[in-house]
Amino acid sequence: MRQAATAPLAFPPLTEQDAVRSADRSRVHEARAGNRRWWLLWLLVGPGILAMLGENDGPSMLAYASDGAQYGLGLFVPFIPVLFALAFVVQEMAMRVGAVTHRGYGELVLQRYGAAWGWFAAADLTITNLITLIAEFVAIRVGLAYFGLGSLVAVALGLAAVLFTFSGGRYWRWERIVLGLALFNGLFLIAALLSSPHLGGASSAGFSHLPGSVNTLLLLLASTIGATVTPWMIFFQQGASADKGMTPRDISEGRWDTAAGAVLAALFGLGALVAGAALLGHGGITAFSQADFPGALGHVAGGAAASVFALGLIEAGAVAILTISASTAYAAAECVGVAHSFNSSPREAVLFYAADFGVAALAAVVILIPGAPLLSIALNANVLATVLLPVSLVFLIMLANDRGLMGRNANRRSTNAVAITVATLVGACGAAYGIDSFLQTIGVVSS
Amino acid sequence: MSEQEEELIMHLERDQFVAETSRPVARVSLTPLGRAGLWALRVFAVAVSGMVIYAFAAALR
Repeated sequence: MRQAATAPLAFPPLTEQDAVRSADRSRVHEARAGNRRWWLLWLLVGPGILAMLGENDGPSMLAYASDGAQYGLGLFVPFIPVLFALAFVVQEMAMRVGAVTHRGYGELVLQRYGAAWGWFAAADLTITNLITLIAEFVAIRVGLAYFGLGSLVAVALGLAAVLFTFSGGRYWRWERIVLGLALFNGLFLIAALLSSPHLGGASSAGFSHLPGSVNTLLLLLASTIGATVTPWMIFFQQGASADKGMTPRDISEGRWDTAAGAVLAALFGLGALVAGAALLGHGGITAFSQADFPGALGHVAGGAAASVFALGLIEAGAVAILTISASTAYAAAECVGVAHSFNSSPREAVLFYAADFGVAALAAVVILIPGAPLLSIALNANVLATVLLPVSLVFLIMLANDRGLMGRNANRRSTNAVAITVATLVGACGAAYGIDSFLQTIGVVSS
Repeated sequence: MSEQEEELIMHLERDQFVAETSRPVARVSLTPLGRAGLWALRVFAVAVSGMVIYAFAAALR
């Protein structure tokens, strides 16, 4: 990659998007030239933390808390960090491909391997994102219900957040607003401290509390994997890294960003797990009663823990709405081949912003339908993401190994070994659950 | 291009310009085995998704 400053002076036509991105890059150049490492890191963090904390979304945090309430801490305390370590491997690849090629995942798959594969990937993403977004609005509603507020407030809050981040027509501004909101994911850690579970008992419960049914165990594994690595994260981090203007020189900082996101997400996820474990030995909580998880926590751990947990759910849902909608917008606009950047104004990138708001609005409409099976949708959102993830992962591994695109930044053997293991593990887990559920449903095997 | 504009964009790498990223990257041809593998993965994903959705819908009834 050659710096424009040293290139021949035949510059391509300049757009507003170039000018805005260059202004952001000038600060990165100054920080690097001045050897101001912490400032440089501050300028370059964002996509990694947002992808990881965005995945600590409403359904994921409810799933962690429910796992803690039903099974204790034993299995999950090591399992969650391991999953986020695997998520780091996947997301680092997405960041690296975005920084080297300056292109999003959707457009690269479409251009490199053909339109059919690009559109398949975008369709998978749109379906899983729509279902997940419904689940995010459900999570906000569950959080708001603790404070006596209803679905309309949840819808208004979620959509207002999307519109608010649009103002300014700058990626930097969008990223910093969402990053500021995402740090409130730490509320789950505070909820854990306030709920004061008996850690000894919850830990020793461990494996003895695992579900007896194979299908329930598979559901547990599939939904927990789906709570840490999903297709939207790949689309988002690669698209956001390109949109931010990252280059191969920034890969090291991009790795720190992704690692910080993984550590924070694992910590906050464990917070939700520990808060949920306060209910262990108090009858636990069934999947259905997740609708009143904060209320149940309030009975056992007090109003403060419940309020903080409810606020955490509102935050987790809101941030995920912002990041997941953004990933849909990147995918849709990239595949159509039109402007796909937060550095463009809504007038210049109509489809991008329309897809961003439209998918969130569509999900919002669903939660207003009376009698819709919202909690069941929320619980199955992560499972469907797990089932569709292997396809996205295989294309990401192919792109990251493509020396024609990546040059010396292509994957190493060790990265490939871990990435292929993740794809195989996720595929096997999703398939096992899907096939077992189907066979049970048609009565071939007993539950 | 004016001096001011040149100064404005000097911090971008050449292949970061919108004009450059708008140009599609070259397509690679997959081997027959690679293409078959990708189609198998696609069929697998659709089939398992269908099973999950069917089981989910049946559980609602």
